[in-house]
Amino acid sequence: MTAQLQLSDVTLGYDRHPAVHHLSGEIAAGALLAIVGPNGAGKSTLFRGIVGLLKPLAGTIQRAGLDVLDIAYLPQSADIDRSFPISVYDFVGTGLWRETGFFGGMGKPAGARIVAALAAVGLNGFENRPIGTLSGGQLQRLLFARVLLQDARLIVLDEPFNAIDAKTSADLLLLVKRWHAEQRTVLAALHDMDLVRAHFPETLLLARGKVAWGLTAEVLTAENLLAAQRMCEAFDDSATACVVDSLPSRAA
Amino acid sequence: MFREVLIAPFSEFEFMRRALAAVIALALAGAPIGVFLMLRRMSLVGDAMAHAILPGAAIGFLLCGLNLFAMTAGGLIAGFTVAILAGVVARSTEMKEDASLATFYLVSLAVGVSIVSVKGTNIDLLHVLFGNILAMDDATLLVIAANATITLIVLALIFRPLVIESVDPLFLRTVSRAGAPAHLAFLALVVINLVNGFQALGTLLAVGLMILPAGIARFWSRDITGMIGIAVASALLSGYAGLVLSFQTRVPTGPAIILVAAGLYVGSVLFGRVGGLVRQLFPGRHLEA
Amino acid sequence: MRRLLLSLLGLMLAAAVPVRAQDRLNVVASFSILADFVRNVGGDRVDVTTLVGPDGDVHVYTPAPADASKVAAAKLLVINGLGLEGWLPRLAQSAGGQATIVTATRGVTPIIIGSAPDPHAWQSVLNAKIYVANIRDALVKADPAAAAAFAARANAYLARLAGLDLEVRAAVAQIAPSRRQVISTHNAFGYFAKAYGIDFIAPSGVSTESEASARDIAAIISQIRRLRIPAVFLENISDPRLIERIAAETGVKVGGTLYSDSLTGENGDSPTYIDMVRHNIRTLTSALAE
Repeated sequence: MTAQLQLSDVTLGYDRHPAVHHLSGEIAAGALLAIVGPNGAGKSTLFRGIVGLLKPLAGTIQRAGLDVLDIAYLPQSADIDRSFPISVYDFVGTGLWRETGFFGGMGKPAGARIVAALAAVGLNGFENRPIGTLSGGQLQRLLFARVLLQDARLIVLDEPFNAIDAKTSADLLLLVKRWHAEQRTVLAALHDMDLVRAHFPETLLLARGKVAWGLTAEVLTAENLLAAQRMCEAFDDSATACVVDSLPSRAA
Repeated sequence: MFREVLIAPFSEFEFMRRALAAVIALALAGAPIGVFLMLRRMSLVGDAMAHAILPGAAIGFLLCGLNLFAMTAGGLIAGFTVAILAGVVARSTEMKEDASLATFYLVSLAVGVSIVSVKGTNIDLLHVLFGNILAMDDATLLVIAANATITLIVLALIFRPLVIESVDPLFLRTVSRAGAPAHLAFLALVVINLVNGFQALGTLLAVGLMILPAGIARFWSRDITGMIGIAVASALLSGYAGLVLSFQTRVPTGPAIILVAAGLYVGSVLFGRVGGLVRQLFPGRHLEA
Repeated sequence: MRRLLLSLLGLMLAAAVPVRAQDRLNVVASFSILADFVRNVGGDRVDVTTLVGPDGDVHVYTPAPADASKVAAAKLLVINGLGLEGWLPRLAQSAGGQATIVTATRGVTPIIIGSAPDPHAWQSVLNAKIYVANIRDALVKADPAAAAAFAARANAYLARLAGLDLEVRAAVAQIAPSRRQVISTHNAFGYFAKAYGIDFIAPSGVSTESEASARDIAAIISQIRRLRIPAVFLENISDPRLIERIAAETGVKVGGTLYSDSLTGENGDSPTYIDMVRHNIRTLTSALAE
């Protein structure tokens, strides 16, 4: 299968401290990949690098010709201004940005798609509500609806089921499976190991660097998880420059 | 009687008609900008900008004397510089928008005061630069009208990215490169409106008709388009009523308009449909679902 | 030979000493018009510094630290009084020093507007003579050795002022009584109006700080139309656009610029008080005489 993403010796971090250190690997098109690891493992940082928000300190990320702007990204904590006067309908509608741009008419077909997206996440009837009146779970559904509308080939979800109830998680998981069935590539950072074992065929166990990457059953072993725990340390302010680092960084 | 009070001042005196025209242009352009400023928590930018333009006006004065055109042009350049620098720093570093603007306008003000002091004149340059709505000559009216037209066009162009950038900036960054240009275009609009507003009408009116109508609209609408509509309407109403008030009493015009707007604002805080105090105290029976 | 040179040197030194002993009197004047008076009376026996210089606005002046040091070093501080220099008492207090404060308007009968006096007393040349007399007395008290010089100079200047007063009256007499009304920007010419019989009407109040209401403007426009006022005048320290608007709406012409609160620089129209009054009266007559 062709690779949707190719990571070549990627190091990502902040202020020169690596949060992801020398990661290499391939993600096939249409894969459903879970990324797990302890806190501080670098999962969010890896995602920011993949969607183009963070430039690698070293190494390259290739996306098989896919424009970063065409990747759907659901961040861990959305910095959304809940007090802004915008309705659920208009907010979700922004998911169509790549198609409509500055002025594109949001005509009948677009309107129908928006309503369908809201229905798919169980928010039908909420169209005119201001986003500030939604609960946490409802907001998460809203963000999923927006991802739906984005119709992206590559979908990146950072801890999408944090702090929401079981029913919502279950419903949204169905959506993830639908995307997988539509042969989109889906990456999800998760904490719930049971959920990963039950629904995700492939897993990358990350602890700054790769601990294990492959079929979920083989990756999520007790010894791997222990190894991952040990590898996650805090930034070391007295660390010297990394000697393996000989390739100059290239734009993400 | 109504005709006497509400229409006669405008039919009898040309300066009143011109003032009304100026107020209409100001309301159309300033109110929508004010709504965005308020939503982006930049409501105090008007005052900051009034000081930030000083070095530009001072240099204009140094080069051309008390020439309003030169001083305004200088003020525009200074305003743009401050706004754009502040915007760029806020976007590329950890610095937040309000702090970034505060630092730059203070630097600008200090430079301006130094220039003025070294040159040795004591005329309050800004006092001279800031105009009066009752003194609308042809050139000034033209500038305000052009300003309103440009503002409305540009605002229509950048409306979508501006909205998205205000509610979910991270999302916009992941789907578009229009975020930064839209933001800078917005800042440019703010500067143009403020500087032209100052020059034509003085600080009080220029800033007041941006911010107060936005505040009023907050209490009546939950949707940004609705808010803009209400803001424009309240600005127009305040302008008209303020002019009438200044005509019937001895209250100066600028303050009169702002006082009317303030009255509308207080009324909105108390009785507004969205979050008004009276509504909060007496919500009525709750609904079925 | 050497003794000759030495004694010549000694003579020269002896001659030089008395001149150096007569140090110039250090006087600070609050604004340019007062400074002009002090220079005319004091001549080269005084060293005058001005706080609000040419083309400055004395109503809204904010003193700088340099001003405080000027005041601290001064022997005399000449002020107008009558509420003109609102910023002065604080400055004098914080500057310290031992300057004697001379109120140039002592003995002037003020015009009261509302509850406060109109400070522009110098606009009447007769009042200006009182100013000069007060300044002369203060200088004499501060430097009695030069009393004769001060008195002589003051008398000469007072004579010129008397001549100026007659000039103004003669010029006004040439204007038809019905045309002796003008519009100006701020209410600075009350004393001129009272002394010489030309009516001044202004949209702003007595200070450049206040703002006009629509009713005030409408009243002025109606008045111009009703009384057929011939001309409006600009000032060198205010925004001209309001006056121009009034002129445009009434069809009245802008007669020129009048100088009220400040002299101009060396190259301007009114570098001295006498020049200022002459300029003003000429501008008025040329606009009103037609």
